[in-house]
Amino acid sequence: MSNTIYSATGCTRCKIAKRCMSELGIAYEEQDMKAEGKEAFQKFYAANRKAIYRGADGVEFPIFSDGIVIRQGIGPVLAHLNYQEKLNGFFSVGSLHKEWVDGIHISGGNPEYAEEFLNVLRYLKTNNMKLQMDTDGRNPAILEKILLEKLADVVIMNIKGPGALYGQIVGEAVDAADIEKSMALVITAPAYRFRTSIVPVFREDGSISYLQPEEVAATAKWLDQVTGNKKLPYFIALAKPAELQDERLKLAEAMTADMLFRYRTAARNHQVLVDIEKA
Amino acid sequence: MAEDKKNVGDLNFPAELRYHKEHTWAKLEDGQIKVGISDFAQDQLGDIIYIELPQVGDAFLQGKEFGSAESAKSVSALFMPVGGKIVAVNSEIEDSPELVNQDPYGAGWMIVIQPDDVKELDGLLTNEQYSGQL
Repeated sequence: MSNTIYSATGCTRCKIAKRCMSELGIAYEEQDMKAEGKEAFQKFYAANRKAIYRGADGVEFPIFSDGIVIRQGIGPVLAHLNYQEKLNGFFSVGSLHKEWVDGIHISGGNPEYAEEFLNVLRYLKTNNMKLQMDTDGRNPAILEKILLEKLADVVIMNIKGPGALYGQIVGEAVDAADIEKSMALVITAPAYRFRTSIVPVFREDGSISYLQPEEVAATAKWLDQVTGNKKLPYFIALAKPAELQDERLKLAEAMTADMLFRYRTAARNHQVLVDIEKA
Repeated sequence: MAEDKKNVGDLNFPAELRYHKEHTWAKLEDGQIKVGISDFAQDQLGDIIYIELPQVGDAFLQGKEFGSAESAKSVSALFMPVGGKIVAVNSEIEDSPELVNQDPYGAGWMIVIQPDDVKELDGLLTNEQYSGQL
């Protein structure tokens, strides 16, 4: 198998990925899509277009391929180069630019590989990158280590809903103490914010309905009870049913931004700075 | 490099073509209409890496999307300057999309249409009108 890194001239993240490959002794060929590798990248893109993520600002670089696996974005590339599939779920292609790296999901991967995950974060930090991470509250021990080592510059906590619904929303049993520990840790990060997406939820009677305003109010109250702070940055977002994993939930009719006003009103009883996604 | 955007005055808009406001050009040839994207569109896209074209036999109304052009930075929909049936596609640009950057009015042409109503051409912009709206 031959390793190829597709890069763009002047791309700092591409340089980091190349440095990592050199340090690991991984032989590779570079194709700079703005220079001599333009034609090679065209061919690669045409053949793999559906596997390549395109954000608001276009294709994210670096892209690594060994002929079988494609990894895109600095986090997924470093994770793969160092640990292959072990860190799946911890990284995705981000959307931030320059020295900022996002797409880092503390709750997304297997906590057995916490040390490997931290090694990738350390590598990014030693290369002068600023890291924005997210968590849904699971894997609080990893979050604690991250904060202790000052690896995170921003932490976003996606509080999925009130404790009673948390397991249903994330699709597995959740220890409420983990979520609460994460809430308490997040407010010690250099910068942080909380958010809740209004998702469709399976109810006990088998029906599906969106999180209700009173459930979001209970979530905001939970946050206040754990942190003792009613003035936390708290954002309520619209979920996009089409992006949910469960096929049955994808069928839910999409909500509109004006529907969020009731949620904001309800949540403000417990978090006065709550804001909502605008249309 | 194509990423360095040109000033509108430095771009080429041949007078013998007509232009759709969404940056496609149309040229009447033997009762059929050849279509591509303007010099402005290719310049804005930058180095084009992929072009999705329709199949011969597909039909679209005027102003409808018939395909897309993708660069590393953006994706641009391609719009029918006049309505009609596709009678030819330039398969060369599917393999060599850089032709659209290099020669948007020549080797970089995209499709040929059998128009439903050739008079739709009269409603398109002249080169001066088109460059004036940029």
